[in-house]
Order: sequence, then structure tokens, then C-alpha cells
Amino acid sequence: MNTCEDKEVAFFGKITAGITHELKNVLAIIRESSGLMGDIISISPEAVIKHQEKIRNSIVRIKDQIERGVNLTDRLNRFAHSTDETLSKIDLQETIEQLVTLAQRFARLKHVVLKTVPPDHEGSPVILVTRHVQLQMALFASLECCFTIMSGGGEINIGIRKTKEENAVYVVCKGDLPSQSEFVRNISESEKWPVLQEIAACLEGSANLDETEHGIVLRFPKEISG
Amino acid sequence: MKNLKILLIDDEEEFVTTLAERLELRGLQARTALNGEAALQMIKVDTPQIVILDVMMPGIGGFEVLRRIKKQYPQLPVILLTGRGSTKEGIKGMELGAFDYLMKPLNIEELIKKMQEAIESHP
Repeated sequence: MNTCEDKEVAFFGKITAGITHELKNVLAIIRESSGLMGDIISISPEAVIKHQEKIRNSIVRIKDQIERGVNLTDRLNRFAHSTDETLSKIDLQETIEQLVTLAQRFARLKHVVLKTVPPDHEGSPVILVTRHVQLQMALFASLECCFTIMSGGGEINIGIRKTKEENAVYVVCKGDLPSQSEFVRNISESEKWPVLQEIAACLEGSANLDETEHGIVLRFPKEISG
Repeated sequence: MKNLKILLIDDEEEFVTTLAERLELRGLQARTALNGEAALQMIKVDTPQIVILDVMMPGIGGFEVLRRIKKQYPQLPVILLTGRGSTKEGIKGMELGAFDYLMKPLNIEELIKKMQEAIESHP
């Protein structure tokens, strides 16, 4: 950690990670309490506790929301811990999945469905040695670029396409979209595009508009020089 | 598994007391400790058959409690509870001698299954 900016990021990460631990405890107490209600219902006759079906349905809803909360909290925790080290070894697919989970709310506000595409390759995961926080910033900036031209909603698919030469992340927009040339112009003129370019350059990678699909292609080196 | 003596160690009182109630409804004997010091004392007075231990606790942390248990009672199985999204803490705990780890919030059926496995492997 050298610069004040690095220290700021580490501070936010540390505090956020601490809060996620607390949230996990809150969710654990809610789960055990609703579980205890379920246990009691299951051993009590209807004559003693009425409306058992409704109570059971409520418990199921609580349980589902706990699962949702746990998933979000886990992702937020990992996101916070991504600030632990400036440079780290990361699993690219895992990072994409995490970012997609955390960006769901931003997508929903734009009526966009965000989907992770499973890797199109067999075998070992794509591991990069890079700046994890900046990598997530690049992925998010690419989504924000897409949001700017998806006023009518739609779907964004994000995933890795692996070839012998490189590992590229494709962010592909689907739905009621402008023509390919208009898409390219609108995105390259959006205020988020230079931001994405800058972050990609910091990662010694690149961000380009896909000439054939409505999308953005992000390329990152396996290991950045420092 | 019936009447299995369990010690639950966690500083979240509402969590451990509710979990203990649920385990008792299933015929198990669950006691609770809210910190490491109290837990070690309880183990000394009346050693349980299994310990469920939270990693993140004020005072003596979970890993230190685990170290002390394993030093004095190497045959006593310990299952760790971790709050982190990653598996790092659980793996560290297993290197220190924990039987296994579970992430919070818990699935009680999974906990019971894990306890069964631990008891069977520590006859």
C-alpha cells in the first residue's frame, strides 16, 4: 500500500468486510429463530397453534430471503476483501460472477437482465495476476457503457472466450438495440467509455467495441508488470 | 446421536441460545458459552463430546481456543463456524486440528450430519 488512494481503498474494504461479518450474524439469528418457529409448528397440533399453513409459508419466505441475503453478503464480503492486496492472483470467472451479482440492482433499475455466460472452454480456470479492484472497475464500467444505450431494457451476457492466444471477456448486449454502427457510435461517445479505456490501460489491457456483435471485448494480460 | 453432549461457543447470544433450543428439540444436549475463557472452563469441568466453535470472537479468538482444546483434549472433535465468504478460515482451522467447518448462517441438518461424521471418526 503506497499511495493515499490505496490506503483509502483498503480502509473502505476493511470496514465493509467487518460489516458483512455482522450482517452474517444477523442473518444467522433470523435463520435460527425462523427455524425454531418451524420446529415448534411441526410438533404442535393445529388445535394448539392455528393457521399453521400460513405460518409455514411465511417461514419459507423468510428462508428464501435469508438465502438471498447470504448470497449478497458473501459476494460483498469477497468484494471487500479484494482490497486486501493491491496485486493478487484471481479467478477471472469467479470475479465476473461476483460482479454480476453485485451489479444486479443497477441492471434492474435499467430494466436490464444481467447474465453470466459459463466458460466456453474445458479444464483449468483462467487465473490472472492483476489489480483485483481495478479489474472489477473495468467490468463494471463496461456494463455502465452498455446501460447507456439500453434505455429500452434488454439483456447483457458477460463471459470469457478463451483461445490459444488470449483470454477475452465479452460483454454482449441483446434486445431492442440500435444498428451495429449506431451502437458503436453511441457507446464510444458515452461518458463512461473513456473511463473504461483508462481503467483497461491501468491494467495493461484493452477495451474495444465488437464489430460483429453488440458488445465490448475486454482483454487483460495474464500477469501485469506492476 | 441422542443425548450427545455438545458445547456451542459463540459471542452472539441470540444465535447460540436459539441453536441450542433447536438441537435440544432434536434430543441433543446443548450447552452454550459466550466466550473462549468460559468455554475452556466449561470443558474442564464437564467435557462435552463435541464442540461447535465460532472463529470470530472477542477476547481469546476462535483459533486460539481451538489450539488450547487440541493441546489438552486432542480427541475432542471441533467443528468451526466461519462467517467469511471464502474458505480460507475454515482451511486454516482444519490445519489447526478442527474436524471441519461450516459457514454461517447454518443449516441445522447439515450441522447434525457433520456432527455425526465427527463422532464416528472420533470413537
